[in-house]
Amino acid sequence: MSSPLFERTVTALLQERVICEVSDDELYNYLLLPGNQDAVNRFLGQINRTLRQTSAHDAFVCAYLDTSDADTKEAIRHQFRDVANNLEAFVQFLRLVMMLEANDRPILPGDKLSEGAILDRIAAAPALESKLRSLAEKKVFHTKRADSAGQIRAVLSSLEKMGYLKPVGTSGSLFRATGRWSWLYDAMTFIQTHEGIQGSDEADSEQMRLH
Amino acid sequence: MARAQDAHGTLRALAKYGEAILEAHLRNGNRVPDSDDNLGLIETLEHHRLVWRIGESEDLQLKKVLVQFLDHITESERRRYASAQVHILWQQLSELFQEYKEAKKRSALSDIDRLEGEIKECLADVIEDIRNATDAFATYINTGFAYITDLNLRIRENERVIERAGRLITLFESFRIRELAEQAGSDAFLKRLLLRHLPATLESSQKNLSYALNQLRKMLVRMREDQRLSRMVGAFEAHFINNRGFEPAIDHLDLRHVPEFLNTVAPFQIKGFGDIYDSSDDLELIEIAAKARTVPVEIEDEPIPDDVNTVNFDVAGETEVEDDDPVEEAIEELIKLVVDGALGERTILASEALTSTGLGIDKADWLQAIVSEIESLPDGDQRHIEVVYHQIPHRVYPDNVMVSDLTLRHSNAG
Repeated sequence: MSSPLFERTVTALLQERVICEVSDDELYNYLLLPGNQDAVNRFLGQINRTLRQTSAHDAFVCAYLDTSDADTKEAIRHQFRDVANNLEAFVQFLRLVMMLEANDRPILPGDKLSEGAILDRIAAAPALESKLRSLAEKKVFHTKRADSAGQIRAVLSSLEKMGYLKPVGTSGSLFRATGRWSWLYDAMTFIQTHEGIQGSDEADSEQMRLH
Repeated sequence: MARAQDAHGTLRALAKYGEAILEAHLRNGNRVPDSDDNLGLIETLEHHRLVWRIGESEDLQLKKVLVQFLDHITESERRRYASAQVHILWQQLSELFQEYKEAKKRSALSDIDRLEGEIKECLADVIEDIRNATDAFATYINTGFAYITDLNLRIRENERVIERAGRLITLFESFRIRELAEQAGSDAFLKRLLLRHLPATLESSQKNLSYALNQLRKMLVRMREDQRLSRMVGAFEAHFINNRGFEPAIDHLDLRHVPEFLNTVAPFQIKGFGDIYDSSDDLELIEIAAKARTVPVEIEDEPIPDDVNTVNFDVAGETEVEDDDPVEEAIEELIKLVVDGALGERTILASEALTSTGLGIDKADWLQAIVSEIESLPDGDQRHIEVVYHQIPHRVYPDNVMVSDLTLRHSNAG
């Protein structure tokens, strides 16, 4: 006897979806139960796949069990290439939101983003307008719109299409951040270590030692 | 006199803006947001020298004297240092019991009475301060230190509060209630305080404190992670600025060291066929198949009405102008040319005639249209036109011929 939730969960995982409380609360709750995790893992294991959680433990993804096969390696490389190609744009977006919120913390799953609130804050701080313009020129967020409202909409809808945001309500202007951000931070952490990119505090201490 | 008037003015101002001032003190870290809504409040507080600020763009800060006063009236100071207060009171209590013991030994009745009163008061204070001390931690959890905007300072404050909670737990654990209770003598009220109220307060406070400590630790972990992510975003931002066009090098990635959670799969389609081999699915499949039809249902299937309300007849003599067809016009002109004998003895190839018209019609259609037009001519005209078919027999069906062109010429037969 097949279970609808099992089927939906496995299908979502195999479709490269990041399952979190915001994006698919029903599937996420299903996966929180260890018994269900085992059932999903037993199935995935037979097709060289396994269930994984992001390091913040707020989202589930499907991973390859054995990465030695050439096609598998290429698929993983493809994922990384997507992150690498758009990383600068994502970093600029995160920085812009941190400036708008006057907050030291980047977007986390569950955070709310309102198009109207962003627009209000940008209108109050014209220096941020140029940052938004620069963001709208990036390939991943590209738009021909010259006004801030159009640019914000383009950026937010691109993020929605990529699964980083989920619309709340029917207005289309209010969003919640999904667990895909956690995955992105994990990827960034890996790239940071791999590329030897120093954090600001580490760079400062390095400077101190040099003087 | 002027001084007294100023003081009256200040007190009146505090009363007028009491709510906003309390809000700033209790929920906003003693900051008064520099907004249009607070214009009156800011002017008044500045006039009475009760606020300060560094830069024009910064929010205003309540002055220390006012903060101390607010601490006093809201008892937040007492709460903040309640753990120290509890410790002092507990020591006092122990000393009072010591004196009480001495007094009882000497049977100094008036001293016993006085000390019993003092012990009761001191114990009540201890109980009150224990409650206050734990309540203060709940406030920290509820606000999440949101009044401190800088993440580093927020982390430091969280660490300080955790330390304070830890000290308080150690202090509670050091209380020897049984020992004190044994010294309480025969006073029923004192015994009730020592054996019932104090242990109950201690127990619930310890429980609350443990919960608070756990929450504070979780908050600290979250804040440290936020700080790490924030630094990472900053590091990438700086790296992109200093290394224009930087893109992480993916091609030389050693996939043996890719963390498992980053090794996510490419989309994998799960599809299957409808089970047409299992008769139990027939009904369902028929229904799906019926709905899957993309060709619209034939018009004949539509019911024909038995009668209609009105019928419109053509108006006699009414004409409808049709658009001229350039192909038809060109063919008519060509045939007229041949029939009238304007070509003389010369011939004309249909394909050349098509090229000269510049029409975009397919050659086969063009040839077919010419033949149809000639066949529809009156017999008299048809006799004046001779058509030579350029044709070859079909490779597979030799009875059929494939026409590649037509040669037209005027015929004198007519």
